[in-house]
Amino acid sequence: MSVAEVLTALADPTRRDLLELLSVRGEATATVLAEDLPISRQAVAQHLAVLDGVGLVAGRREGREHHFVVRPDTLDEAARWMSQLAQQWDRRLRTIKQIAETAHRASR
Amino acid sequence: MNTDSIEREVSIEAPIERVWEALTSAESIGTWFGVGAPATIDLRVGGVMVINHGDHGTFKTLIVAVDPPRAFSYRWASAYPDELATEENSTLVEFTLRSKGDGTVLRLVESGFDALDIPANRPDASYESHSNGWTGVIAKFAEYVMGNDEQPLVSSS
Repeated sequence: MSVAEVLTALADPTRRDLLELLSVRGEATATVLAEDLPISRQAVAQHLAVLDGVGLVAGRREGREHHFVVRPDTLDEAARWMSQLAQQWDRRLRTIKQIAETAHRASR
Repeated sequence: MNTDSIEREVSIEAPIERVWEALTSAESIGTWFGVGAPATIDLRVGGVMVINHGDHGTFKTLIVAVDPPRAFSYRWASAYPDELATEENSTLVEFTLRSKGDGTVLRLVESGFDALDIPANRPDASYESHSNGWTGVIAKFAEYVMGNDEQPLVSSS
């Protein structure tokens, strides 16, 4: 799995809504999820397939229905990685700012 | 929307030449990008900048743009200590500087994540657990990826 695939899957607001709804429900089918979203069951199923493809949800078949659950590890891993990156850059930029401003004040 | 890059900007109360010096001198690079020891830097296109990241290893970044005092870029193989950065194993880090009043705006873009896998977890990495639920995390994540959020994704408190 690449980070970018996860990010791309999360870039769609409907998929984020879907993921949040599913995390609240614990486990649900596309039919049940569609009741709480302004889109069709077919659209929900398509979004679930995208989320499944990058490992953000997992599905299991029960009779004729697919039940989906969130896979927190995938989002955790991507979020952890990206948030570390963000924090590191914020810290580095603060340090550059500090070095430049200190040198500037000393020169005046 | 670009999911391939991180973008950050900071306003600095110092002239652009000062910021350029802070950004590119061996001593200050060692401070802001390394663990303190001065970096080794051959400040030219095609030159190598060697950064000591302590326990994470040493990184050989490849400089791809030097245009003082406006632009400085390098490739960084953050998942591959000791290997020279190439187009395959690295992301592109681009700094651009512009004067604004008496100060300077320093902009950072790190791009090229499409091609990278998530590196193995670093044992000393700290982050807050998502015990408060998913909603905030996902929303912040999206804002952050879209470059709308200048705040750190996770507070460091």
